[in-house]
Amino acid sequence: MAIEKIVMRNTIRTLRFNAGEMTQQDLADRVGVSRQTINAIEASKYFPSLEVAFRIARVFGKPIEDVFECECRKK
Amino acid sequence: MTSASFEEKSTWVQLVGMVLGLGAYFVVAGRMLASGVRAMPAFAAVFMVAVAAMVVFLIIAYALVSLMGKQEPPDERDRLIVWRSEYNSGWVVAAGVLGAVTCMVLNVENVWTANLLLLSLALSEVLGCVLRIAHYRRGV
Repeated sequence: MAIEKIVMRNTIRTLRFNAGEMTQQDLADRVGVSRQTINAIEASKYFPSLEVAFRIARVFGKPIEDVFECECRKK
Repeated sequence: MTSASFEEKSTWVQLVGMVLGLGAYFVVAGRMLASGVRAMPAFAAVFMVAVAAMVVFLIIAYALVSLMGKQEPPDERDRLIVWRSEYNSGWVVAAGVLGAVTCMVLNVENVWTANLLLLSLALSEVLGCVLRIAHYRRGV
C-alpha cells in the first residue's frame, strides 16, 4: 500500500502562546533561523529539517511528536 | 515588504537591477542590430556601460536594504529556495548554449551568437529570481 500524500502539521503557535506569548523572533533567535522561516513553518509553507525540528522541540521542552505531526494518506 | 526577510529583499533588489540594467542593454542592442551594426566592440561598450550602471544600482540598493532592516545570514530555508530556483532555471542557459552552437554550425554572425548567449544568461538569472520570490511568497 503506497503512501499517496503526507500532510505535516505543527503546534508551534499554541506552544508559543503557552510559553508566555513567545514571539516568532524570540523563537527564531533561539533556534538559529530567521523570523520569516518560523512564520513559514507555522503556516505549513515550509517543512524544516530534522535538526531545526529538534531544536524547536527542545526550546519548548517537548518531544518532537508533540510539536510536529504527520498525517499519511494512503491509497 | 517590511515582513520580508533580508534574503527576499536582496532577491527583489537583484531582480530589479538585472531587469533595468540588462533590459536596457538588450533594448539598445536590439536597435543596433536592427540598424545594421555588427561590430562586436560597439556591443561590448554598451554592455560594459549597462553592467557598470547595474553594479552601482545594486550597491546602493543593497546598502539601503541593509540600513532598513536587520541583516541576517541565510538559513536552511533560504539555501533550499536558492537551490530549487537554480535547479529550475538552469535549463534556460542550456537552451541558450544549444542555440549558440546551432548558430555556429549555421555560420550565423558572431554578434548574434554572443547576444543569444547573453540573453539566455540574463533570462536564466531573472527566472531564478522570480522563482525565489515565488518560493518565499507561496512556500517551498
